[in-house]
Amino acid sequence: MKKIEISRQNIYIAVLSVLLLIFVLIFSFSLLIPQGKEYRIKRAEIKNITKELHEIENYHFEILELLKKMQGDNRNTITALETKFSKERFLKQHKEFFNTLTLSQRVQVDNEGEFIVYDVNTSSQMNSPKSFYNFLDAINKSDWMIGVNFPIEFKRDGEMIYSTFSMKIYSNPKESNTTESNTAK
Amino acid sequence: MKYSYLKSRKKSALTADMQLLFVFFSITFFMLVLTYLFLSFKDYRFAQDEMDMNQKKIDLNININTMQNQIAFIEKQNALAEMVHTKNTVLKDSITNLFDLVPQRITLSKASLLENGLILHGITPNKDVYNFMLQAPLRSIFHRTYSSFYPAQNGWMNFVSTNYIDKVEEELIDEED
Repeated sequence: MKKIEISRQNIYIAVLSVLLLIFVLIFSFSLLIPQGKEYRIKRAEIKNITKELHEIENYHFEILELLKKMQGDNRNTITALETKFSKERFLKQHKEFFNTLTLSQRVQVDNEGEFIVYDVNTSSQMNSPKSFYNFLDAINKSDWMIGVNFPIEFKRDGEMIYSTFSMKIYSNPKESNTTESNTAK
Repeated sequence: MKYSYLKSRKKSALTADMQLLFVFFSITFFMLVLTYLFLSFKDYRFAQDEMDMNQKKIDLNININTMQNQIAFIEKQNALAEMVHTKNTVLKDSITNLFDLVPQRITLSKASLLENGLILHGITPNKDVYNFMLQAPLRSIFHRTYSSFYPAQNGWMNFVSTNYIDKVEEELIDEED
Protein backbone atom coordinates (compact mmCIF):
# COMPACT_ATOMS: atom_id res chain seq x y z
CA MET A 1 0.00 0.00 0.00
CA LYS A 2 1.33 3.33 -1.07
CA LYS A 3 1.76 5.85 1.75
CA ILE A 4 0.45 9.38 1.09
CA GLU A 5 3.10 11.89 1.90
CA ILE A 6 1.96 15.37 2.93
CA SER A 7 4.57 17.85 3.84
CA ARG A 8 4.36 19.67 7.12
CA GLN A 9 4.09 22.96 5.18
CA ASN A 10 0.97 21.82 3.42
CA ILE A 11 -0.54 20.70 6.69
CA TYR A 12 0.05 24.23 8.13
CA ILE A 13 -1.61 25.81 5.07
CA ALA A 14 -4.55 23.47 5.24
CA VAL A 15 -5.04 24.08 8.97
CA LEU A 16 -4.80 27.85 8.54
CA SER A 17 -7.23 27.85 5.62
CA VAL A 18 -9.72 25.85 7.65
CA LEU A 19 -9.27 28.26 10.58
CA LEU A 20 -9.83 31.24 8.26
CA LEU A 21 -12.93 29.65 6.85
CA ILE A 22 -14.28 28.96 10.34
CA PHE A 23 -13.50 32.54 11.40
CA VAL A 24 -15.21 33.99 8.34
CA LEU A 25 -18.28 31.82 8.88
CA ILE A 26 -18.54 32.62 12.60
CA PHE A 27 -17.95 36.35 12.03
CA SER A 28 -20.46 36.48 9.21
CA PHE A 29 -23.25 34.58 10.90
CA SER A 30 -22.85 36.02 14.39
CA LEU A 31 -22.15 39.69 13.58
CA LEU A 32 -22.18 40.70 9.96
CA ILE A 33 -25.46 39.17 8.77
CA PRO A 34 -27.54 40.30 11.83
CA GLN A 35 -26.03 43.78 11.48
CA GLY A 36 -26.86 43.78 7.78
CA LYS A 37 -30.43 42.73 8.49
CA GLU A 38 -30.77 45.46 11.07
CA TYR A 39 -29.38 47.95 8.55
CA ARG A 40 -31.97 46.95 5.97
CA ILE A 41 -34.84 47.13 8.49
CA LYS A 42 -33.73 50.53 9.75
CA ARG A 43 -33.27 51.83 6.22
CA ALA A 44 -36.85 50.83 5.41
CA GLU A 45 -38.05 52.41 8.67
CA ILE A 46 -36.21 55.64 7.90
CA LYS A 47 -37.76 55.68 4.45
CA ASN A 48 -41.24 55.36 5.98
CA ILE A 49 -40.56 57.94 8.66
CA THR A 50 -39.17 60.36 6.04
CA LYS A 51 -42.33 59.88 3.98
CA GLU A 52 -44.54 60.48 7.03
CA LEU A 53 -42.47 63.52 7.97
CA HIS A 54 -42.91 64.99 4.50
CA GLU A 55 -46.68 64.42 4.72
CA ILE A 56 -46.79 66.10 8.15
CA GLU A 57 -44.63 68.97 6.85
CA ASN A 58 -46.98 69.46 3.90
CA TYR A 59 -50.01 69.40 6.21
CA HIS A 60 -48.24 71.82 8.57
CA PHE A 61 -47.62 74.14 5.65
CA GLU A 62 -51.26 73.94 4.55
CA ILE A 63 -52.52 74.66 8.08
CA LEU A 64 -50.05 77.55 8.41
CA GLU A 65 -51.25 79.04 5.12
CA LEU A 66 -54.88 78.65 6.22
CA LEU A 67 -54.12 80.28 9.57
CA LYS A 68 -52.33 83.20 7.90
CA LYS A 69 -55.23 83.62 5.48
CA MET A 70 -57.79 83.56 8.27
CA GLN A 71 -55.72 85.98 10.37
CA GLY A 72 -55.51 88.28 7.35
CA ASP A 73 -59.19 88.01 6.42
CA ASN A 74 -60.41 88.54 9.99
CA ARG A 75 -57.80 91.05 11.13
CA ASN A 76 -60.42 93.64 12.08
CA THR A 77 -62.40 91.19 14.19
CA ILE A 78 -59.29 89.81 15.90
CA THR A 79 -58.00 93.31 16.66
CA ALA A 80 -61.42 94.44 17.88
CA LEU A 81 -61.60 91.56 20.34
CA GLU A 82 -58.03 92.14 21.51
CA THR A 83 -58.38 95.87 21.99
CA LYS A 84 -59.08 97.01 25.51
CA PHE A 85 -62.14 99.21 25.76
CA SER A 86 -61.38 102.85 26.42
CA LYS A 87 -64.26 105.02 27.52
CA GLU A 88 -62.49 108.23 26.50
CA ARG A 89 -61.69 106.98 23.02
CA PHE A 90 -65.21 105.69 22.53
CA LEU A 91 -66.68 109.06 23.50
CA LYS A 92 -64.23 110.85 21.24
CA GLN A 93 -65.11 108.62 18.26
CA HIS A 94 -68.89 108.55 18.71
CA LYS A 95 -69.92 111.82 20.32
CA GLU A 96 -70.40 113.32 16.83
CA PHE A 97 -73.65 111.34 16.49
CA PHE A 98 -75.24 112.83 19.60
CA ASN A 99 -75.66 116.15 21.31
CA THR A 100 -74.57 114.57 24.57
CA LEU A 101 -73.22 111.11 25.22
CA THR A 102 -72.36 109.64 28.59
CA LEU A 103 -71.16 106.17 29.51
CA SER A 104 -71.20 104.36 32.82
CA GLN A 105 -68.20 102.36 34.05
CA ARG A 106 -67.90 99.05 32.29
CA VAL A 107 -68.88 96.05 34.39
CA GLN A 108 -68.00 92.47 33.60
CA VAL A 109 -71.34 90.75 33.39
CA ASP A 110 -70.88 87.33 31.97
CA ASN A 111 -68.84 85.05 29.79
CA GLU A 112 -70.36 84.29 26.43
CA GLY A 113 -68.67 81.13 25.23
CA GLU A 114 -64.97 81.83 25.46
CA PHE A 115 -65.37 85.60 25.49
CA ILE A 116 -65.64 88.05 28.34
CA VAL A 117 -68.63 90.38 28.14
CA TYR A 118 -68.66 93.82 29.70
CA ASP A 119 -71.76 95.91 30.09
CA VAL A 120 -71.79 99.67 29.67
CA ASN A 121 -74.92 101.78 30.19
CA THR A 122 -75.22 104.66 27.81
CA SER A 123 -77.39 107.75 27.79
CA SER A 124 -77.53 110.27 25.01
CA GLN A 125 -79.42 113.18 23.56
CA MET A 126 -80.02 113.57 19.84
CA ASN A 127 -82.05 115.62 17.40
CA SER A 128 -83.41 112.81 15.30
CA PRO A 129 -83.48 109.00 15.27
CA LYS A 130 -81.20 109.13 12.21
CA SER A 131 -78.34 109.94 14.55
CA PHE A 132 -79.00 106.66 16.32
CA TYR A 133 -79.04 104.75 13.01
CA ASN A 134 -75.71 106.30 12.08
CA PHE A 135 -74.37 105.40 15.50
CA LEU A 136 -75.42 101.75 14.99
CA ASP A 137 -73.66 101.72 11.63
CA ALA A 138 -70.57 103.25 13.19
CA ILE A 139 -70.22 100.79 16.07
CA ASN A 140 -70.11 97.91 13.59
CA LYS A 141 -66.92 99.52 12.27
CA SER A 142 -65.51 100.63 15.61
CA ASP A 143 -62.25 99.50 17.26
CA TRP A 144 -64.14 97.21 19.64
CA MET A 145 -66.69 94.44 19.36
CA ILE A 146 -69.82 96.17 20.59
CA GLY A 147 -73.42 95.06 20.47
CA VAL A 148 -76.26 97.37 21.44
CA ASN A 149 -78.49 95.59 23.85
CA PHE A 150 -82.09 95.78 25.03
CA PRO A 151 -83.79 97.56 26.69
CA ILE A 152 -83.52 100.69 24.59
CA GLU A 153 -85.54 103.65 25.63
CA PHE A 154 -86.31 106.78 23.65
CA LYS A 155 -87.96 109.68 25.42
CA ARG A 156 -89.10 112.92 23.87
CA ASP A 157 -87.72 115.95 25.67
CA GLY A 158 -88.89 119.04 23.80
CA GLU A 159 -87.13 119.02 20.42
CA MET A 160 -84.60 116.46 21.63
CA ILE A 161 -84.76 112.71 21.99
CA TYR A 162 -83.27 111.36 25.15
CA SER A 163 -82.14 107.75 24.82
CA THR A 164 -80.79 105.17 27.22
CA PHE A 165 -79.50 101.78 26.25
CA SER A 166 -76.84 99.29 27.26
CA MET A 167 -73.96 98.04 25.20
CA LYS A 168 -72.25 94.69 25.41
CA ILE A 169 -68.51 94.84 24.81
CA TYR A 170 -66.95 91.54 23.89
CA SER A 171 -63.34 90.78 24.63
CA ASN A 172 -60.89 87.90 24.35
CA PRO A 173 -60.43 85.82 27.50
CA LYS A 174 -56.89 87.05 28.18
CA GLU A 175 -57.22 90.77 28.20
CA SER A 176 -53.78 90.98 29.77
CA ASN A 177 -52.40 90.06 26.35
CA THR A 178 -53.62 93.32 24.89
CA THR A 179 -51.15 96.08 24.63
CA GLU A 180 -51.53 99.79 24.79
CA SER A 181 -50.22 99.96 21.22
CA ASN A 182 -53.32 98.05 20.18
CA THR A 183 -55.56 100.50 21.91
CA ALA A 184 -53.76 103.56 20.63
CA LYS A 185 -54.35 103.05 16.95
CA MET B 1 33.53 13.92 8.56
CA LYS B 2 31.77 16.14 6.09
CA TYR B 3 29.76 14.71 3.22
CA SER B 4 28.74 18.02 1.65
CA TYR B 5 30.22 21.41 1.16
CA LEU B 6 26.82 23.10 1.42
CA LYS B 7 25.65 24.39 4.74
CA SER B 8 22.22 23.21 5.88
CA ARG B 9 19.47 25.83 5.48
CA LYS B 10 17.48 26.76 8.55
CA LYS B 11 13.87 25.80 8.02
CA SER B 12 11.16 28.28 9.13
CA ALA B 13 7.40 27.84 9.39
CA LEU B 14 6.92 31.29 7.80
CA THR B 15 7.49 30.27 4.27
CA ALA B 16 6.48 32.34 1.23
CA ASP B 17 3.25 30.34 0.95
CA MET B 18 2.45 30.95 4.58
CA GLN B 19 3.19 34.67 4.20
CA LEU B 20 0.84 34.81 1.23
CA LEU B 21 -1.78 33.05 3.30
CA PHE B 22 -1.34 35.53 6.16
CA VAL B 23 -1.69 38.46 3.75
CA PHE B 24 -4.86 36.94 2.34
CA PHE B 25 -6.09 36.26 5.88
CA SER B 26 -5.38 39.87 6.95
CA ILE B 27 -7.10 41.36 3.91
CA THR B 28 -10.17 39.19 4.49
CA PHE B 29 -10.23 40.07 8.18
CA PHE B 30 -9.81 43.78 7.41
CA MET B 31 -12.62 43.75 4.86
CA LEU B 32 -14.98 41.92 7.19
CA VAL B 33 -14.29 44.27 10.08
CA LEU B 34 -14.60 47.29 7.79
CA THR B 35 -17.98 46.10 6.52
CA TYR B 36 -19.12 45.48 10.08
CA LEU B 37 -17.98 48.95 11.16
CA PHE B 38 -19.70 50.55 8.18
CA LEU B 39 -22.97 48.81 8.99
CA SER B 40 -22.66 49.71 12.67
CA PHE B 41 -22.01 53.34 11.79
CA LYS B 42 -24.97 53.44 9.41
CA ASP B 43 -27.20 51.86 12.06
CA TYR B 44 -26.06 54.49 14.54
CA ARG B 45 -26.80 57.27 12.03
CA PHE B 46 -30.20 55.78 11.25
CA ALA B 47 -31.00 55.65 14.94
CA GLN B 48 -29.94 59.30 15.31
CA ASP B 49 -31.94 60.34 12.22
CA GLU B 50 -34.97 58.41 13.43
CA MET B 51 -34.77 60.13 16.80
CA ASP B 52 -34.42 63.57 15.15
CA MET B 53 -37.26 62.93 12.74
CA ASN B 54 -39.54 61.60 15.47
CA GLN B 55 -38.80 64.70 17.55
CA LYS B 56 -39.52 66.88 14.50
CA LYS B 57 -42.78 64.99 13.95
CA ILE B 58 -43.78 65.59 17.57
CA ASP B 59 -42.90 69.32 17.27
CA LEU B 60 -44.81 69.63 14.00
CA ASN B 61 -47.84 67.86 15.46
CA ILE B 62 -47.78 70.18 18.47
CA ASN B 63 -47.56 73.17 16.10
CA ILE B 64 -50.40 71.80 13.96
CA ASN B 65 -52.50 71.30 17.08
CA THR B 66 -51.80 74.86 18.26
CA MET B 67 -52.61 76.29 14.84
CA GLN B 68 -55.82 74.26 14.61
CA ASN B 69 -56.83 75.65 18.00
CA GLN B 70 -56.03 79.15 16.74
CA ILE B 71 -58.11 78.54 13.61
CA ALA B 72 -61.01 77.23 15.71
CA PHE B 73 -60.75 80.31 17.94
CA ILE B 74 -60.71 82.66 14.93
CA GLU B 75 -63.82 80.87 13.62
CA LYS B 76 -65.48 81.49 16.98
CA GLN B 77 -64.40 85.14 16.90
CA ASN B 78 -65.76 85.43 13.39
CA ALA B 79 -69.07 83.83 14.37
CA LEU B 80 -69.35 86.20 17.33
CA ALA B 81 -68.55 89.22 15.14
CA GLU B 82 -71.17 88.18 12.61
CA MET B 83 -73.73 87.63 15.36
CA VAL B 84 -73.03 91.05 16.94
CA HIS B 85 -73.00 92.90 13.62
CA THR B 86 -76.20 91.18 12.47
CA LYS B 87 -77.87 91.99 15.78
CA ASN B 88 -76.91 95.65 15.45
CA THR B 89 -78.16 95.79 11.86
CA VAL B 90 -81.43 94.05 12.76
CA LEU B 91 -81.84 96.44 15.67
CA LYS B 92 -81.32 99.41 13.40
CA ASP B 93 -83.91 98.04 10.94
CA SER B 94 -86.36 97.37 13.79
CA ILE B 95 -86.07 100.92 15.12
CA THR B 96 -86.41 102.32 11.59
CA ASN B 97 -89.52 100.20 11.03
CA LEU B 98 -90.93 101.23 14.38
CA PHE B 99 -90.64 104.95 13.67
CA ASP B 100 -91.95 104.43 10.14
CA LEU B 101 -94.94 102.62 11.64
CA VAL B 102 -96.05 105.61 13.65
CA PRO B 103 -98.43 107.79 11.57
CA GLN B 104 -98.03 111.56 11.29
CA ARG B 105 -101.14 112.22 13.39
CA ILE B 106 -99.83 110.31 16.37
CA THR B 107 -96.96 111.69 18.40
CA LEU B 108 -94.79 109.42 20.51
CA SER B 109 -93.47 110.71 23.81
CA LYS B 110 -91.64 107.60 24.88
CA ALA B 111 -90.70 104.28 23.30
CA SER B 112 -89.18 101.36 25.17
CA LEU B 113 -87.78 98.50 23.10
CA LEU B 114 -87.55 95.33 25.14
CA GLU B 115 -86.08 91.93 24.35
CA ASN B 116 -89.54 90.56 23.51
CA GLY B 117 -91.74 93.61 23.51
CA LEU B 118 -92.40 97.24 22.85
CA ILE B 119 -93.96 99.87 25.08
CA LEU B 120 -95.12 103.08 23.45
CA HIS B 121 -96.34 106.21 25.15
CA GLY B 122 -97.87 108.96 23.06
CA ILE B 123 -100.70 111.19 22.17
CA THR B 124 -103.43 110.62 19.59
CA PRO B 125 -106.30 112.86 18.39
CA ASN B 126 -108.78 110.11 19.26
CA LYS B 127 -109.01 106.38 19.90
CA ASP B 128 -110.07 105.54 16.34
CA VAL B 129 -106.98 107.08 14.81
CA TYR B 130 -104.87 105.06 17.22
CA ASN B 131 -106.84 101.83 16.68
CA PHE B 132 -106.77 102.00 12.88
CA MET B 133 -103.42 103.56 12.25
CA LEU B 134 -101.18 102.20 14.98
CA GLN B 135 -102.78 99.34 16.84
CA ALA B 136 -103.68 97.41 13.69
CA PRO B 137 -100.10 97.17 12.41
CA LEU B 138 -98.84 96.49 15.96
CA ARG B 139 -101.29 93.59 16.29
CA SER B 140 -99.90 92.04 13.11
CA ILE B 141 -96.37 92.13 14.54
CA PHE B 142 -96.90 91.26 18.21
CA HIS B 143 -98.77 88.35 19.78
CA ARG B 144 -100.25 90.34 22.65
CA THR B 145 -101.18 94.02 22.48
CA TYR B 146 -102.67 96.01 25.32
CA SER B 147 -103.68 99.65 25.11
CA SER B 148 -104.85 102.12 27.69
CA PHE B 149 -105.99 105.70 27.22
CA TYR B 150 -106.35 108.72 29.40
CA PRO B 151 -107.38 112.23 28.37
CA ALA B 152 -104.80 114.87 27.63
CA GLN B 153 -105.16 118.55 28.50
CA ASN B 154 -105.76 119.66 24.89
CA GLY B 155 -108.67 117.27 24.38
CA TRP B 156 -106.56 114.59 22.71
CA MET B 157 -105.90 111.17 24.25
CA ASN B 158 -102.74 109.96 25.85
CA PHE B 159 -102.12 106.31 25.22
CA VAL B 160 -99.87 103.56 26.51
CA SER B 161 -99.44 100.64 24.16
CA THR B 162 -97.81 97.50 25.53
CA ASN B 163 -96.91 94.81 23.01
CA TYR B 164 -95.29 91.43 23.52
CA ILE B 165 -94.01 88.60 21.38
CA ASP B 166 -94.47 85.21 23.04
CA LYS B 167 -91.18 83.38 22.90
CA VAL B 168 -92.74 79.92 23.02
CA GLU B 169 -94.78 80.60 19.92
CA GLU B 170 -91.77 82.15 18.24
CA GLU B 171 -89.68 79.06 18.99
CA LEU B 172 -92.43 76.81 17.63
CA ILE B 173 -92.51 78.82 14.41
CA ASP B 174 -88.73 78.52 14.15
CA GLU B 175 -88.93 74.75 14.69
CA GLU B 176 -91.60 74.42 12.01
CA ASP B 177 -89.38 76.32 9.59
